[in-house]
Amino acid sequence: MNPLCTPRDHTFSRRAFLGGGLGLLTSPLFAEAMKQRDKQVLFVWLDGGMSQLETWDPKPNTEFGGPFRSIPTSVPGVHFCELMPKLAKQMHKLCVVRSMCTKDNAHSSGVDRIQRGDPKNRGVPYPHFGAGVAKLLGPGSSGLPPYVWIKPGSGGFRAEDAGFLGPKYGSLAFGDGKPPDNLLRHPDISAEQDAARNELRQMLDQRFAKQREKRVVEANASVFDMANKLMARADIFDTSKLPERDRDRYGRHDFGQHMLVARQMLEAGVRFVKVTSYGWDTHGDNFNAHATMVPKFDQAFSAMLEDLEASGLLKTTLVICLSEFGRTPRINGHVGRDHWSEAWSIAMAGHGVKHGMVVGETNERGTEVKSKPFDIGSAFHTWYRALGIDPMKTEFDNAGQPLPIAHDDMLPIKEALA
Amino acid sequence: MKLEPKQLTEFPSERQITAARFNHDGSILAAAGYEPAVRRWQFDGKTLTPLPSLNGFHGYSTALAFHPQQPHLFCADSWGQLRCCEGEKTLWQHETAHDGWLRQIAVSPNGKRIATCGKDHFIRVWDVASGKKLAEHDAGEDVYALTIVDSITFGDMRGRIETWDLDLKKKQRSFDAAVLYKLDRIQDLGGLRVLRFIDDGKTLLAAGTTPQNGATPQSIPTILFFDTASGKLTKTVTHGTNKEGYIHDLVQHPSGCLMSVSSGTPGSGMLFLLNPADKEPFHVNTKMANCHSLALHPDGKHFVVTSTNRDSNGNGKSLGKDGQYKTNTSPLHLFEM
Repeated sequence: MNPLCTPRDHTFSRRAFLGGGLGLLTSPLFAEAMKQRDKQVLFVWLDGGMSQLETWDPKPNTEFGGPFRSIPTSVPGVHFCELMPKLAKQMHKLCVVRSMCTKDNAHSSGVDRIQRGDPKNRGVPYPHFGAGVAKLLGPGSSGLPPYVWIKPGSGGFRAEDAGFLGPKYGSLAFGDGKPPDNLLRHPDISAEQDAARNELRQMLDQRFAKQREKRVVEANASVFDMANKLMARADIFDTSKLPERDRDRYGRHDFGQHMLVARQMLEAGVRFVKVTSYGWDTHGDNFNAHATMVPKFDQAFSAMLEDLEASGLLKTTLVICLSEFGRTPRINGHVGRDHWSEAWSIAMAGHGVKHGMVVGETNERGTEVKSKPFDIGSAFHTWYRALGIDPMKTEFDNAGQPLPIAHDDMLPIKEALA
Repeated sequence: MKLEPKQLTEFPSERQITAARFNHDGSILAAAGYEPAVRRWQFDGKTLTPLPSLNGFHGYSTALAFHPQQPHLFCADSWGQLRCCEGEKTLWQHETAHDGWLRQIAVSPNGKRIATCGKDHFIRVWDVASGKKLAEHDAGEDVYALTIVDSITFGDMRGRIETWDLDLKKKQRSFDAAVLYKLDRIQDLGGLRVLRFIDDGKTLLAAGTTPQNGATPQSIPTILFFDTASGKLTKTVTHGTNKEGYIHDLVQHPSGCLMSVSSGTPGSGMLFLLNPADKEPFHVNTKMANCHSLALHPDGKHFVVTSTNRDSNGNGKSLGKDGQYKTNTSPLHLFEM
C-alpha cells in the first residue's frame, strides 16, 4: 500500500481487495497490500510505572542504583538488571530506548498523555495508539476486531480509547483474558434462529441509521460485526486447549496467562493487541516488589518473543513495552521510588525497529538523559513509521478536519528504525 | 517497668541507613544502608564521632551484626559478600557467600557461629573463627529473616517460619506466619522483617507487617507471638492503621519491653515500646519520619534510631539548594531512657 495514502484509502483498499477476485493475487499491488495488512502490534503496558533502574537501565553500585546486580545480555556491552535473565538472553531481538524524557509525573494525565501520544492540544481527545492503528491499518485479513485489550479486571467495549475517531475504533477489552459476557450464542438458540434475529436487527438498524449521525451508526453496527466475528473464532480466547508447557513457560500468574491469550490473538490475526499489567506504582517497598514482579514480566515477555520469532510473526509484529513513566532514582523513606518522567526507558522488538540496539543514555546516577532526550511524540512517530505509515504525510480525519497522527513538532527516533 | 525514652540529640548522616548496631562494649556504632560501605561512629555516651567507613562492598550494604563478646563485626551486601572485620581490618571475607542479596546475619549467643540468609533461598552457617562454611539449607524461597540459638529459625517471603538443626539436616518446628504474606496481582508481598526469641527462648516473635495491597503497599505493623515449644500462635499485636507500614527493627530491652521502629506507606512510621504482656504500646513517638533501625546500647540506657529526612518522597525532579538532584539521608536520633 502506498504510504502516501489517506486513512480512508486503507479501508477502501481492503474492501476492494476482498471483492476483487483471484486475479489480484498475482499483482504487485496485492503483495504490497498483504505486507501492509499483515502488520500487527503487541503493546505491553505496565501500569503505574516500572522502574528503569531495576530493569532496562541498571546503575549498579551507585547511590541510586538499588541492591541488584546487572547482568550481560546477548549483545556485548549491554547490561540489564539481574531480575531479567531471560530477556537478557534476547537482547539481540530488542531495541531499548534509555533516553525517554516525557515531562509528566501524574498517573491521571500521564497514562492518557502517553497512550495518546501527547499531540498538540486541538480541543479534541486524540485516539490511543491502538485506536489510531485500528483506523489507519484496519482489521487486517482476519477480519477480527482490530484493537483488543487484555487486562485484569473488567472487560467490555471501551469507546473512549478512540477519541475523535469515534467509538468504532475503541478497544474491545477482555477482562481477565476472557471474552465479554454472553458473547457466544446461547445453546438453546439454533443457528437459524440466530440468523433470523440478526436479519431483524439489521432491518431495525437501517431504520435507526436514518435518524442518527453516521459514526454512531457505524459504531453500533461494528459492535455487532465484532461480536459475530468473535463468535466465529471462539477458539482464540479458549486457553483450555493450550499445552501445559506453554502455560508454564509464560507463567501461571495472570500476566503470563494474559500474554498467552495475546499470543493466540496475534496468531489469529488481530491487528493490535494490548496487554496490561497493573500494580507497578511502587511508592513503597520498591526493591522487594520489583524482585517478585520483574521476573514474572521477564518470563512472559521473553516467552512471547521466543514464540513470535518461532512462528515468524516477529517479522510482521511491532512489539512495544512501556509504562506512563519510570521511577525516581531517589529512594524515599518507604523504601519506594516515586514517579519519574525525566529519564526512563521503553523497549521495542519486531517489525520496523532495529534489533540488538540501545538508543540513548542516562548519566551515571540515572538522574538525567545524557544524550538527546525523546518525548512520547517521537515514540509515536517511530511506531507509525515502523508500521509503514508516514506521520508527516498521513492525517486523521476529524469529521472533515485533518489532524496529524503524531505530534507535529516531533520526529521519529531514527536510530531505532530499521 | 515502663521506660520513658527522651531524645538527647540528632546526628546527620549523608546516606540512608537501613541497619545499625552497637558493638559489645557500646563504643562503636556501625550502620549499613544505601551505599557499598558500612559507616561507623565512635560513641562516648553523648556524641557520635565518625570513623572511617568500611569500603569495598557492592550494591548496598544490607546487614550487620556484632559479636556478643568480641570486637568482631560481621557485615554483608546485596551482591552476596560476607565479611568479618575487627576495626578496619578484614579477618575473613567471602565475595559470594550468597548469590546476590544477603538479607540478614545472626550471631549465636556464644559467638562461635553466624548464620546468613538471602534472596538466593539459602541459609548458611559459618564458623566465626575461620570463616568456614559449616552448613547450608535450601529453603526454596526468598528468606527474609533469621535468628540463631542452638538451631536456626528462619522465615521466608510467604511467612513460612521453620526451625532447623542444620547439623542434623532436620526440621524441628514450623510456625505459620502466612498472615504476613499476600499475593496482589503479580506482586508477592512478604511482610516478615524480624525474628526474635524472648522469654529465654520460650516465645518467638515474628515482626513486620500485614500487607493489604501491593504497589504502594498499605499495611499494618504486626508482631506475632508464637509458643516455641508447640509452634502455636499465642498473640497478635498490631499497631496503627494500614498507613503505618512495616516494622523494620525490633529488640528486647533488658527490662523485658519490646522496642520497635517502623516506616509507613503513606504514613511516616514511629518508634514504639511495648510490654510483651500488653496489646498496646506504652510509649509511641511519631516525631521521626520513616524509621528503619534501632540500635540498643549495651548499657540499656541509650539507643539510636535511624529515621529518614522529612519530605523524602515526591514525584519528579527535586533539586537541592545547590541545584543538584536531592538525595535522602538518615538522621541518627540518640535517646536516653
